[in-house]
Amino acid sequence: MGTSPTTELTRDDYPLSINRPELLHTPTGKPITALTMDAVVSGELSAEDLRITPETLQLQAQIADASGRPQLAGNFRRAAEMTAIPDAEVLAMYNALRPRASTGAALGELADRLENTYSAPVCAALVREAAEVYGRRDLLARPAADSDD
Amino acid sequence: MTSTAPRTGTAPRQSLRTEILEARPVNLDGFVEEWPEKGLVAMESAFDPAPSVRVEDGQIVELDGKTRDEFDFMDTFIANHAIDVASAERCTAMPSAEIARMLMDPRASRDEVLAVTRGLTPAKILDVVKLMNVVEIMQGMQKMRARRTPANQGHSTSARDNPVQVAADAAEGALRGFAELETTLGVLRYAPLVAIALQVGAQVGRGGVLTQCALEEATELELGMRGITAYAETISIYGTESVFIDGDDTPWSKAFLASAYASRGIKMRFTSGTGSEVQMGNAEGKSMLYLEIRCILMAKGAGVQGLQNGSISCIGVPGAVPGGLRAVAAENLVASMVDLECASGNDQSFSHSAMRRTARAMPQLLPGTDFVCSGYSSVPNADNMFAGSNFDTEDFDDWNTIQRDFQVDGGLRHVREDEILQARDKAARALQAVFAHLDLPPITDDEVAAATYANSSNDYPFRDVLSDLKGAQSVMDREITGLDLVKGLEAAGFHDVAENLLTVLRQRVSGDLLQTSAVLTADFTPLSAINDPNDYAGPGTGYRLEGERWEQLKKLRHVTSSTNPETEVG
Amino acid sequence: MTTPTATSTLPGRTVSLREIGPARRGTREDEVVVAVSPAFAGHFSKTIVDVPHAEVLRQLLAGIEEQGVTARVVRFRDTADLAALAHMGAKLSGSGICVGILSRGTTIIHQKDLPRLSNLELFPQSPLLDAAVFRMIGSNAAQYAKGESPQPVPTRNDQMARPRWQAKAALLHLKEFECIEAGRGPVDVELVFESSNAG
Repeated sequence: MGTSPTTELTRDDYPLSINRPELLHTPTGKPITALTMDAVVSGELSAEDLRITPETLQLQAQIADASGRPQLAGNFRRAAEMTAIPDAEVLAMYNALRPRASTGAALGELADRLENTYSAPVCAALVREAAEVYGRRDLLARPAADSDD
Repeated sequence: MTSTAPRTGTAPRQSLRTEILEARPVNLDGFVEEWPEKGLVAMESAFDPAPSVRVEDGQIVELDGKTRDEFDFMDTFIANHAIDVASAERCTAMPSAEIARMLMDPRASRDEVLAVTRGLTPAKILDVVKLMNVVEIMQGMQKMRARRTPANQGHSTSARDNPVQVAADAAEGALRGFAELETTLGVLRYAPLVAIALQVGAQVGRGGVLTQCALEEATELELGMRGITAYAETISIYGTESVFIDGDDTPWSKAFLASAYASRGIKMRFTSGTGSEVQMGNAEGKSMLYLEIRCILMAKGAGVQGLQNGSISCIGVPGAVPGGLRAVAAENLVASMVDLECASGNDQSFSHSAMRRTARAMPQLLPGTDFVCSGYSSVPNADNMFAGSNFDTEDFDDWNTIQRDFQVDGGLRHVREDEILQARDKAARALQAVFAHLDLPPITDDEVAAATYANSSNDYPFRDVLSDLKGAQSVMDREITGLDLVKGLEAAGFHDVAENLLTVLRQRVSGDLLQTSAVLTADFTPLSAINDPNDYAGPGTGYRLEGERWEQLKKLRHVTSSTNPETEVG
Repeated sequence: MTTPTATSTLPGRTVSLREIGPARRGTREDEVVVAVSPAFAGHFSKTIVDVPHAEVLRQLLAGIEEQGVTARVVRFRDTADLAALAHMGAKLSGSGICVGILSRGTTIIHQKDLPRLSNLELFPQSPLLDAAVFRMIGSNAAQYAKGESPQPVPTRNDQMARPRWQAKAALLHLKEFECIEAGRGPVDVELVFESSNAG
């Protein structure tokens, strides 16, 4: 989890790219102002530099909260946790949450992995909630079921 | 229920007037009787539940007549995530008429309304909007739209998946004013090339236009992660548990996906709409609008910033039942009144009747929405791979004229021919350079010339489809990203286009486009519900079409000069 | 609602589907299963654009047989979900290939090893399917069964099919759902074509 700045942002800080660029940096630690054409041409920038950081998502979550949008802020907080998860694994986790795709035990392991490997407690809570509801609504995979795919 | 008496055959003699009426395009449209028991009803059904909510220990334990043990997964998700528990009982107990009045009363601010709507149950919201006629719904939309400045979205597709066409039409569309451009494919494997073409063409037409490529979830996300597209919207949700499962998703899987997009800095909205559940045969006996309200609240609960709704690809269903378009207008209002960005439909072929097509758009165009169309076909409908839109390129001048007639901003403008030709030519040349840079199948000068003056895919030389598909695969295999496009444009001397695209890519690092209703202006200012909040408070307030923008919209293809009536201005 | 030997009453030609017995996994590798929905050639007698179900089956079977492949028609009674019935049909098919069809005409070619929501070819716009298209679908299914890779049947597109037909399609779908008999498995059926005198 990223560290939050000492003062909470308000809607007046938005857009961060214009009003608070000094708060923004890339996953490789460059300031956002370093994302220039010269840097592109000289090969200093990689695709990795064009990704959002968990810290920035936490800042946007603060702005969403300050704008009266708690659900949106919650989404940004889950997203902040997910920045650490590789693309392919994000897609695999999504697929695991599809109806009857996973057993209750598998979802439990997924939640543990989110929590322990990726320090993603908010995402883990969402998966645990899903597992509980899927159990009640017959949406868990049966361990020995005839697999569809 | 037999209602299919043949129209021809040995029918009794008709009057000449009836023959004329029979031949009118509107009679090619399909209309059906309501069947409320099966959910084939717009928004007035005796089978919808009555509103109720009960909170115990900080948890909603009763929702619209069901107790928690009876909840299906939509009820559960909405109760757990969408409804503000602290205010639920108080807000849901308010008289529906009072809430409906607040929605249209300019003295109640948008924020005051939101303080009430965040505590409402699906059935309560339905109960409120059922009190409103279509003019009242429009008044509500005028105030509740999240972003102050309305906008529009275009479709840029090709019946032959021709990337050169998509680039040229994207450039023209961007120049005409679309803030977002969406493409999709006939042959899915073409996606990488067409998505690249859309991005390059859009940044030629007007820097900062956002692009997306509608595909199945995994590929759509991958193109977004690579920075080839800028946002996504075809993330479908449904109002009944059974249809949601048929779509192979749940509210939790979709909520997870919403966070996945945000984690890569990509703007995203869900898609839903009246009629999808009954169309798929599992409306569970509920009205189309009730089920759509469940979708809207599910989207809200997932924390996604916005929703594309307004029946969308199911418009033929509400369009065929009594009061259907009132329900469609109401679903847009509900998305806005729970503080979601609303991309409000008008995006699918809807009627054979030009009069009906126009009327269908009025409840969104007149009050303004975040995106009046989602989208408007900025290619001829025959090239529209979303199966046709309610408006296409042939309607550009009509649309512009309607904006001028009513002094409303539908997001588009008239653009002079020379500017359009220049943009189309430049887009085709820029794509030619990018393809050359990336060692993709070449674009010939003949193709560039064709693109400049073309109308439809028929006006272009054939491309070597097999080579293109190999090229498309190589884009994926070589892991080409948006940054490679920037490099190619810069290397070929398209500095301004390269700079535009780099600025769009830089936005994902800031996350500013993740906030509600965000678009990028021509000077790359993120404009969202935060720094451009809808402040409508009655006559003379809110967004007004005036100043420089109004001067732009006064221009049409043919306007007689008042100074010299023997000439035209423009 | 579905009666085992319901007869479609049509001008020209009618077909009835006589239930033979529970459908089982086929053993012939040169077999294509044609999986029909609960109300096909039963409660309903024609597609959304009035192509008689007798004609649909005649063309599908002719297309399959002209490739030297055998057709087996199976009636599904407990689902009207096209992907589901076609996927289950594919699992019953000796070749693993199935043509699934709903009463209103929506058709799919499925293969047993594909995910349920995938397909070999899908023809979602039922109003655009006529006799010639059904014959090509049958032919392509048979070619897949032989392990060939046929050119997909050209898909037609009519933007105005939605405003004209979408709601009627929904209505037909709802009626078909009413014909679902939960818990009753798929059955092999025998086709009985009859010339109708009422023409």
